Amino acid sequence: MATQEAATTTSPAQNVHPKLQSKSPSGPMAERWTKHKFDLKLINPANRRKFKVLVVGTGLAGSAASATLAEMGYKVTTLCIHDSPRRAHSIAAQGGINAAKNYPNDGDSIFRLFYDTVKGGDFRARESNVHRLAECSTQIIDQCVAQGVPFAREYGGLLANRSFGGAQVSRTFYARGQTGQQLLLGAYSALSRQVGLGRINLRPRREMLDLVVVDGVARGVIARNLATGEIEKYAADVVLMCTGGYGNVFYLSTNAKNCNVTATWRAHKRGAYFANPCFTQIHPTCIPVSGHYQSKLTLMSESLRNDGRVWVPSKMSDTRSPEQIPETERDYYLERKYPSFGNLVPRDIASRSAKEQTDAGKGVGSTKMAVFLDFRDAITRDGEDAIRARYGNLFQMYARITGENPYKTPMRIYPAVHYTMGGLWVDYNLESTIPGLFVLGEANFSDHGANRLGASALMQGLADGYFVIPATIAAHLAGRALPAVTEDHPEFRAVAQQVTDRTQRLLGIKGKRSADSIHRQLGNIVWNQIGMARTASGLQSAMRDIAALREEFWNNVNVPGSGADLNQQLENAGRVADFLEFAELTARDAYEREESCGGHFREEHQTPDGEAQRDDVKFQHAAAWEYNGEGKPETRNIEPLTFEVVKPAQRNYK
Amino acid sequence: MSESMHITLNVWRQKNAQEEGRLEAHACDVSPDMSFLEVLDVLNDKLVSEGKEAIAFEHDCREGICGSCSLVLNGQAHGPHKNTTTCQLHMRSFKSGDNITVEPFRAAAFPVLKDLVVDRSAFDRIQQSGGYVSVNTGSAPAANAVLVPKDDADSAMDAAQCIGCGACVAACPNASAMLFVSAKIAHLGLLPQGQPERKKRALAMVSAMDREGFGNCSNHFECGAACPKGISVANIARLNRDWLGAVLTEREERKDQGD
Amino acid sequence: MPTWLQKILSSSLGKKYITAITGLLLVLFLVAHLAGNLTIYADKDGSAFNSYAHLIESNPLLPLAEAGLLVLFLAHIGLAVRVTIENRRARRSRYAVANDKGKKTTSSATMIWTGLIVLGFLILHIWNFRIGKELAGESGDLYTLVKSELRQGWTPWAYVVGMGALGFHLWHALRSAFQTLGAAHPYLDEAWEKLRWLAVVLALGFASFPLYFLFYT
Repeated sequence: MATQEAATTTSPAQNVHPKLQSKSPSGPMAERWTKHKFDLKLINPANRRKFKVLVVGTGLAGSAASATLAEMGYKVTTLCIHDSPRRAHSIAAQGGINAAKNYPNDGDSIFRLFYDTVKGGDFRARESNVHRLAECSTQIIDQCVAQGVPFAREYGGLLANRSFGGAQVSRTFYARGQTGQQLLLGAYSALSRQVGLGRINLRPRREMLDLVVVDGVARGVIARNLATGEIEKYAADVVLMCTGGYGNVFYLSTNAKNCNVTATWRAHKRGAYFANPCFTQIHPTCIPVSGHYQSKLTLMSESLRNDGRVWVPSKMSDTRSPEQIPETERDYYLERKYPSFGNLVPRDIASRSAKEQTDAGKGVGSTKMAVFLDFRDAITRDGEDAIRARYGNLFQMYARITGENPYKTPMRIYPAVHYTMGGLWVDYNLESTIPGLFVLGEANFSDHGANRLGASALMQGLADGYFVIPATIAAHLAGRALPAVTEDHPEFRAVAQQVTDRTQRLLGIKGKRSADSIHRQLGNIVWNQIGMARTASGLQSAMRDIAALREEFWNNVNVPGSGADLNQQLENAGRVADFLEFAELTARDAYEREESCGGHFREEHQTPDGEAQRDDVKFQHAAAWEYNGEGKPETRNIEPLTFEVVKPAQRNYK
Repeated sequence: MSESMHITLNVWRQKNAQEEGRLEAHACDVSPDMSFLEVLDVLNDKLVSEGKEAIAFEHDCREGICGSCSLVLNGQAHGPHKNTTTCQLHMRSFKSGDNITVEPFRAAAFPVLKDLVVDRSAFDRIQQSGGYVSVNTGSAPAANAVLVPKDDADSAMDAAQCIGCGACVAACPNASAMLFVSAKIAHLGLLPQGQPERKKRALAMVSAMDREGFGNCSNHFECGAACPKGISVANIARLNRDWLGAVLTEREERKDQGD
Repeated sequence: MPTWLQKILSSSLGKKYITAITGLLLVLFLVAHLAGNLTIYADKDGSAFNSYAHLIESNPLLPLAEAGLLVLFLAHIGLAVRVTIENRRARRSRYAVANDKGKKTTSSATMIWTGLIVLGFLILHIWNFRIGKELAGESGDLYTLVKSELRQGWTPWAYVVGMGALGFHLWHALRSAFQTLGAAHPYLDEAWEKLRWLAVVLALGFASFPLYFLFYT
């Protein structure tokens, strides 16, 4: 049947792919969101309970959206991959959440937060979305405080702020080093309240394994009950995917082990375009890899760079202990290369510089894949107690993991994958190219462009969940005729059968290698060729290697046990299979984007000083990849980006 | 890199909730720099390559904040260290030649699903009964409209750090959930935002806790010693106070007209 | 039963509250009991003790006090047994390796057993001096009865064991009761830590009587 398109506030842009209409409102930037909300249809409270909303994922975006939509009266079902919604990886965010409250009276405003985010994203984000994000930021803080989030306070009882990630204003709200945890627990408590009131049907230990599209509209998902192995069908009038990022395509990342691309990749294969997969963020201050068994990397707050000095020995392959290396034989390379910003250069530059040093054979530690972060001078200057007061828990964490005392010997650090800016393409309503499928939080591509600012991920997840989706969901629910579809629909049975077949296929290979060992090998390829610095030839070889590894996976993986009970090996194998397909697209996206911007650095495209060089003529757009079927190359569609307010400029940190 | 260590793991294997479990010994060569969960990863890789079923254990963030990892190592929830989750425990804390018995968290309210994986959804049901402030999205007052003394905010944060791992239940000889529940009660009870529902919350969460089949608190204080986030047993005394006050003064809920 | 009492008795916290309050009242009784018994040491012929005993026995409120004590004991024991059964049910399977992080004490881990030993002692004690006296008629004075009973066979040793159990029981009880009642604060906690030595005083005090009669009279 034909679906009636939702009313949009602008006429379709000319010369733009018909499915990539951003639906951004027109008019003055600061009024667009208000105008758009007014233009969207409202749904009568009595009618809301007739609509079934399916939310996949319970991180900040998923929990916030579930709770808010249930409060409004929708019938919500929420799938959670963990045993409890409280475990989603949003919980691990340390630093804080940005909001344009301007409490410190230091010149911040919604406009400045908007401006900083567009610029920080290296002009690869949609202006209207970013402005809306900055607008919502202030309401988020109000909401979280009312929920009982114990933000840091001043002695007078007012909220405290700090400056974060090199920002010139103090706009970051925080709860010790556990801001993500506290915000997630806030959203989780709101979600729990609705579950207790019977308005949310919460299904923990469920993994979405496919999307069901009926007559071109997303109408539900197929999920596996991870405790019993049962394949379950969930039908709804609208599907919200809040399934996080794909950083684990690198195997080693700061993401939690369960973070995966499966939900978004399955939706992609059903018709949702995947935007900018090559935009990944590498965080400079992580604890380095210590051995081949390493399962994950641990991030330490980048605030450490406020007092720590980064250096490597001047000589190659210097095996002396750091204390024995005299001052004259140390290279404080960030201070040398960037005299004005020094150790506080942005994340991408700090990360890339560390790679340069280790590539040049100057790495330190047993693996030679690390640089020093030295607090000796800060301790001499301010005393050990002052440093302990500032970074005590980080030093403790470092000591626990490495067994070394960072007060006595310099920390060893190395960059690690941390966040992914790319994701499913969405319009201004957060709707993907499949009508009825909305994508929130890190899973979408929308707001951070090619690089995300510190303390902005929490802001985006909550803005999408608490404030954006409750308004924009009406574009679909009120704008389209939705015939009744239940779990008995033939399409549900067909997709469930495909999921079952795939599970059986994985179990039937009975090869020699664990999925994890293949994942580790994939991670090596991705880290080496699609990591901090990329080249055309490296990306080509990555595409070949990934294809070969995928071949090996489908012939030689061993998944023991059965599909009929709790089987973590099976869960993992399914995810690795999707990473093996997704990784190739990432390489291709990086290959086709012949420029450097934000987290995407192509060695062929740099200034004479070795800085990222954008190509705004050819690449001022989002690349949205379209799946064409098994074994066929994907089509690269584009959504052109226009900058009406913030004029593109070259970043400079010299 | 440091030299390798030889250890023996006695791991609890249990097919599902119905069947009996047993301990199974595995010899492992490990590096002192490995985390305990990485030892299980390596062992699982070996089991899979031999065509055997891998050991099921719960884990996710591996940086001590998500509360997924559990495990009782040689009788101690999260292993021998204070304020440390299993995922943050490294093998240098053991000696070569050590025998380590690895068991799931044991409590009637946390039934074993498989091997080392237990069902901790009882905690979620306790939260759903009242572990929140009733505030709908959009209806919040301006953030700085309500002042919160710094000491109160700090104490609330001390309690709010709970990661919901369930080590308190696992360590308690009575499998009591008092430390978990009291941390929630203290977190919201210390903040002005939590006051309107304070009594109702204490009553509801304690009855939910009782329904789940946790034991009674006998003040052994093993919970506080096992808690990886150092949550204080003083919160339990606070819960005891709040609850008594609520029982004696809370009126029956009024059935008002309208919504 | 009033609703509030029903609510209290049906809740895990309520049961602990009543166990703590009844326990503390019983401790008060023990303090008074010990103070009265110390009259044994006032003279060699027991006249001080006998006149103290007469004072108690001639009080018309005695049956009321006895009934009160009985209620306290029954409530305390009943709830403690019930709570212990519930606790066992909450942890059906035991750990293969018995170990912990060192906060549990022998005293805290054996509350039900020391409590039951004290109960056994109590039955013996009441047989010896309440029912036994009743059966013997009002003839002899109490001091003589105490002296003869506490020198008979294993009785004095049963008393010493009973009082040892009491000491162990109270060592945890005196700390635990205040936590259960919610009286926790850094200053208060310090006071409770000191107060738990009362357990030792009571146990030694009561145990001194059989030893005194056995070895010094």
